[in-house]
Amino acid sequence: MRSTGNVRLDEWTRTNDGLPNDAPPVTDDGAVLLDVRGLGIAFTGGAARVQATHDVSFAVRPGERLGIVGESGCGKTITGLALLGLLPAATSHVVGEAMFEGQNLVGLPLSRMRHVRGRKISMIFQEPMSALDPVFTIGQQIGETIRAHFGASRRQARARAIEALASVGIPSPARVHDSYPHQLSGGMRQRAMIAIALVCEPRLLIADEPTTALDVTIQAQIIDLLLDLSAKSGTALLFITHDLGVIAETCTRMLTMYAGEVVEDAPVDSALVQPRHPYTSGLLRSLPRLSARGAVLPSIAGRVPTPSDMPSGCRFAERCVHRRAECAAAQTIVQFGEHRVRCGRHDALVLPGALTDREAAA
Amino acid sequence: MSEAPAAAIVTVEDLRIRFPTQDRRETVKAVDGISFSVLPGETFGIIGESGSGKSTLGRAVVCLLKPSAGRILHGGTDPYSLSARELRLRRRAFQIIFQDPNAALNPRMSVLDSVREPLDIVGEGSRAARDRIALELIERVGLRPEFAARYPHELSGGQKQRINIARVLTVRPRLIVCDEVVAALDVSIRADILNLFADLQREFGLTYLFITHDLGVVSHVSSRIAVMYLGRFMELGPAEDLADRPLHPYTQALLSAEPVPLPSAMRTGKRVILQGEIPSPTNPPSGCRFRTRCPFAQAVCASDEPAWREAAPGRFVACHFAGDVTGHPINATQTEEATA
Repeated sequence: MRSTGNVRLDEWTRTNDGLPNDAPPVTDDGAVLLDVRGLGIAFTGGAARVQATHDVSFAVRPGERLGIVGESGCGKTITGLALLGLLPAATSHVVGEAMFEGQNLVGLPLSRMRHVRGRKISMIFQEPMSALDPVFTIGQQIGETIRAHFGASRRQARARAIEALASVGIPSPARVHDSYPHQLSGGMRQRAMIAIALVCEPRLLIADEPTTALDVTIQAQIIDLLLDLSAKSGTALLFITHDLGVIAETCTRMLTMYAGEVVEDAPVDSALVQPRHPYTSGLLRSLPRLSARGAVLPSIAGRVPTPSDMPSGCRFAERCVHRRAECAAAQTIVQFGEHRVRCGRHDALVLPGALTDREAAA
Repeated sequence: MSEAPAAAIVTVEDLRIRFPTQDRRETVKAVDGISFSVLPGETFGIIGESGSGKSTLGRAVVCLLKPSAGRILHGGTDPYSLSARELRLRRRAFQIIFQDPNAALNPRMSVLDSVREPLDIVGEGSRAARDRIALELIERVGLRPEFAARYPHELSGGQKQRINIARVLTVRPRLIVCDEVVAALDVSIRADILNLFADLQREFGLTYLFITHDLGVVSHVSSRIAVMYLGRFMELGPAEDLADRPLHPYTQALLSAEPVPLPSAMRTGKRVILQGEIPSPTNPPSGCRFRTRCPFAQAVCASDEPAWREAAPGRFVACHFAGDVTGHPINATQTEEATA
């Protein structure tokens, strides 16, 4: 390691460049870091217009870990991409607002978005191989972020990049710094991605299925790493996954999306034990651990409706075993305590969660 | 192993499969000495991390890869002792379904053509009769007959996987190797497909070799489970026993790494987080190949390869310190005693 050695980023930014170290303290409890309201995403192709998500609202507090669950096609990933302005500008239309540190991320001009991406909000993706550029070394890709946001010299960037690789548990970080992505294993690539995402100590990390492509043993390592880094730096997490076990072990809140809408938002333990939306309950009940070995697994019949064929009433009604006539009306999201749910029958229903009968009785 | 191979539908004897590396200087030992038998009507689950050789093993069982050493017997017959013609006839009873339902279907063929194709190759019956069988199976796997005219891009992942299932059923297999067949599917769809596999097993008397990295899935569907690591079995036993009382430290680590969807207060048991990654199969560690990541490793683990032994009736394990005949799991005190 060179002369700039073990300088922490916060000291380093203060001493080495003119940029203000403007991160507010992480202990501002009660304050909201990201406030998403009425976010709607539509895509156009030719004459067709498809409303992919509708009225998505949620908040992330500093240091909070929010998990978004739902089947493929429910709008989880595009919601994450929209927050960073990463949807194709020519064909996507985003309405609503996403307030982050006093500015609305929706419609934020590129010149200002560049100061947010990677510095304030970072994103990691499912497949690290396609997110990393194969023709640059890992070190060049981390260094790029540091140099873009802090105007550091190459030497400083190298030192900081090696430090970042070490902090995500990569053995021999100096060697990995000079390696190309194809020379690393899947788990190491995902660690390198996390190092790139966290090198500027962002306030929010959006993680889109970051462990789905990994083995369960490596997944456990990455989850531990994310929790550890989040606790150390106070970085909030927006964790997009379809794996309810990962959500349970990682997140403090769970947001269930269905067909482009938020249908439930609750503290994770409450959502797991006593879900209030039939869709959340259905997802939890279809897990093999709740059924006797070899028994028929409960499943949710049918499929997510396509955006071009969206029912006007409750979007889940067609697949819902608790459907009544009133479900043909559009459903609004209702809040009670820390729980929000988009189901007109939530008061009438007692739905099973992720516990076996024996666990629930205990 | 003390099973009677005569009754077995597939018997694998000290199977080894090696590939040269790209530069041809080294050898990848993908499967490195495995023996087991699959009994008719059972679901034999194989779990392990990527790179453990489980897919290679699955392909070898259906004669897509030739053993470098050792034997595979199909109902007591070595398929490689048969003439090419006879092998072609016999291997129809041994089919495989792959993980990626997209890659397994030709995008330019309609669903009906894809499902009928194996029958066209077999060349039995008239075209109309083959169409009828294909249509019946399309409906049997839970799709409406109008799907027959559609193309793969018009189907969801779950529907495509149903088509792949219908296609192998056309030739009336006895054994199907299911290689990560639900890994690419959503949770709710996954449950549907697993239920379908169970129904078909009862209806057609099928035997499955179920390869997956998903412990929830494998312990739900399997009668017996084998745990694979770097080309060898670490443990083999009845599904319940193995999941509830794992004997091998690797099995314990795999089970404890599985994220459980329970509230934090209800999650029991300490997690064993394995350090590092699976070593390269070109040069596996000496002695026990799991020792480099094993929390209980001792000097003997580096010098002696643990024997594949029956630790309790029907429960096989390759570990110097795994539980004895009473089947209690390994713990720290035990390993200390062992070295004392």
